[in-house]
Amino acid sequence: MGKVLMKGNEAIGEAAIRAGCLNYFAYPITPQSEVAEYLSRRMPEVGGMFLQGESEVAVSYMLFGASACGERVFTTSSSPGVSLMSEGLSYISGAQCPAVFVNIMRGGPGLGGILPSQGDYFQATKGGGHGDYRLLVMAPASVQEAVEMVMTAFPLAEKYRNPVMILGDGLIGQMMEPVEFPDDLASEPVNKDDWATSGMDTRKSENRNLVKSLYLSSEELNKHNLHLKAKYDRMRREEIRYEKYNIDCDYKALIVSYGTMSRVCKTAIDNLKKEDFKVGMIRPQTLFPFPEKAVNEAASKNSCKIVISIEMSMGQMVEDVERAVIGKRPVRWYGKCGGDVPTPEEVIDVIKSMVKEA
Amino acid sequence: MSKTFKKPECLSDLHTHYCPGCTHGIIHRLVAEVIDELGIKGRTVGIAPVGCAVLAYNYFTFDFQEAAHGRAPAMATGIKRVRPDLIVFTYQGDGDLASIGMGEIIHAANRGEKFTTIFVNNAVYGMTGGQMAPTTMPDQRTTTSPFGRNVKEVGMPIKIAELLSALETPGYITRQSVVKPKYIVRAKKAIKKAFQYQIEGRCFSLVEVVSTCPTNWGLTPVQAIKWAEETMLPYYKLGEFKVPE
Amino acid sequence: MEIDLDGIVIIAGNYGSGKTEVSINLAVNKKRSGIDVCIADLDLVNPYFRTREVKGLLSELGIDVIVPPEKYLQADLPILSPVISGMIRQPCGLTLLDAGGDDVGVNVLAALADSLGGKKYNMIQVVNPFRPFTDTVKGCLKMRSEIEKASKMTINGIIGNANLIDETSVEDIYNGYDFVKQLSKESRLPLRFVTVAAALMPDIDTTRFHCPVLQIERQLVPPWKRAVSIKPVI
Repeated sequence: MGKVLMKGNEAIGEAAIRAGCLNYFAYPITPQSEVAEYLSRRMPEVGGMFLQGESEVAVSYMLFGASACGERVFTTSSSPGVSLMSEGLSYISGAQCPAVFVNIMRGGPGLGGILPSQGDYFQATKGGGHGDYRLLVMAPASVQEAVEMVMTAFPLAEKYRNPVMILGDGLIGQMMEPVEFPDDLASEPVNKDDWATSGMDTRKSENRNLVKSLYLSSEELNKHNLHLKAKYDRMRREEIRYEKYNIDCDYKALIVSYGTMSRVCKTAIDNLKKEDFKVGMIRPQTLFPFPEKAVNEAASKNSCKIVISIEMSMGQMVEDVERAVIGKRPVRWYGKCGGDVPTPEEVIDVIKSMVKEA
Repeated sequence: MSKTFKKPECLSDLHTHYCPGCTHGIIHRLVAEVIDELGIKGRTVGIAPVGCAVLAYNYFTFDFQEAAHGRAPAMATGIKRVRPDLIVFTYQGDGDLASIGMGEIIHAANRGEKFTTIFVNNAVYGMTGGQMAPTTMPDQRTTTSPFGRNVKEVGMPIKIAELLSALETPGYITRQSVVKPKYIVRAKKAIKKAFQYQIEGRCFSLVEVVSTCPTNWGLTPVQAIKWAEETMLPYYKLGEFKVPE
Repeated sequence: MEIDLDGIVIIAGNYGSGKTEVSINLAVNKKRSGIDVCIADLDLVNPYFRTREVKGLLSELGIDVIVPPEKYLQADLPILSPVISGMIRQPCGLTLLDAGGDDVGVNVLAALADSLGGKKYNMIQVVNPFRPFTDTVKGCLKMRSEIEKASKMTINGIIGNANLIDETSVEDIYNGYDFVKQLSKESRLPLRFVTVAAALMPDIDTTRFHCPVLQIERQLVPPWKRAVSIKPVI
């Protein structure tokens, strides 16, 4: 199949179907409602299931129930909706069920605004819900990448028996780009007979399965948490993904940026190149696990005077960048989060002045 | 001579954690007997609540999920939408269903989700230690209504069966009790009917069961039964409130 | 070939077919040829990439732009400006109504029925065969009937807007033309014009087309790209 022109939100919906997920529960919220609108037309065509739940809280538990009985399932929402789903995310993580959540971020806190933002970095990578859980978080920078990340999210969620979150922003959801759906990313669900409550007859088993997150004995709960931690540590070893940009030259500054913001940074880097002003970039594709080693190594380059985290939030990812750089270079932050995306010109000015001061 | 009393296959050998005089054990048994009799153990998934029955999954021998407070109907919806062939029931108390999970139960009932809810109403939060529930009776003392439920401040107890039967979507809604043997027989019939409607794919079904909580009511088991009969049953009338066409 | 359109022109089409980009460029094209143009943003369904984002530019060119009040410009509210009824009652040389996508996007037109009553108008369906749901003639015809049903109005023309934005090839343009030609034949709706991005224009043999061509100078671009700069109208 050739390329089609799709909005990020539509492409995300289609990608889930192509990945082999035919179950979608959601609640409308700008700027991601197009996913539900698209799938409400598309799911009946492919024999899939679409249900609009009564709230994001309920939707997250619809995912929990469906996933716990062994089926592939996903939802999409935007920032305030993801806050409501965070309770469910904690339970789903605790009960070790695979599920895919997409957050098309808008400005916050509270109702904020409907324009693009990256203000949910902490929520996605550090919790949001209660307890010691992590999500595997991927951040697409194009519609094509959103498609690929959604398609890979399902087998990853099953590999770790943990929710995976695709963290996009309003622009990724709303903009149109040509996309292709790579057939080789379609996957069969793994066998879940050892844990899923799929019905004893379905499994032809005498043993019942139990899906729960309750561990009343302190010893058992600690053991459970150590088991979860081991999974998150394995993610840190096996799932880190990032893109290097203009990293083979003697750059004066290293930018760390993701999603929509990283595309503005690329334009800025290209334009600076024409003035022979060299800037490199690491673009994390996974936000958890964060590419700490890659950032550290890139920051260590002799020519590099400064590391700048550029994000559409008031300084969230910069904390992970600081952790990665561990004092080797000064780390600065630049960002905006009212909804206006910084322009390449603004980014160029910021880089120049920060390099000058460094 | 054959045995007249034997443990249902669907109940485990574990001793329950329920207090003396608590009716959860009876209700568990009724559910287990019905599932045995209908021969659906191998395709049943139960959903445990948050509340005294949080550990209900230990006492049944088929697949179980453990929900968050009030969210069991959303989980049941999730299962039935992706696996309509499974038989699903939620087991919920009054704090779980009528307070924190009111949104989930109303919308699941209104969508006509084809699962069954066993709603145990004992007019108090048991698990968290005897606080006021939406179904706590007027003037009833609890740890958060130490001077008795003041209906002028917190309103009248919610009648869930009546509330849900007001929905236009077809359903099977009934209120039963287990505080006397004669009620138990009827309650079992109702539970069986509820599961049958589900098996036939006909409608949402909910059986409210008026129960006791001697421990949190501060009464002996015998006194608790008397209180339930004299105080709760006149307000929470037993019977079928809605039957599908 | 000149694009032959005047009076009230409603630009409809499926979601993401390119209505707004077409409307903006059509407005500029007509203004350049000396016609008074006004344009109204009726897109109540789309949160981003709307006519309102280029209001400044169009105003500079002397094009009247009707958008919701400034303070609601970025609001998630379906606001229909009362000015639009007035604009329809007293149309200028070309009065463009840029509707929202799909059948839901044109619901608003039914709300304007009183103002439109008895007036002559052209309602044109923008088609991009590279979009889902309109990649077949059947899909386009279904979209047409859904739009007509929701708006309670009749579509009387087609605009071919085949493109994959920056990745559009010459072949795509030719194939897109053939597609809308076929659609025109099957629907018996005239093909009013096709579009070609300005950058691709030098490579296109326009003699292949039996209809006018509207050159697209892309204005609705993401923040890391620059819009094609539009020269002022002389």
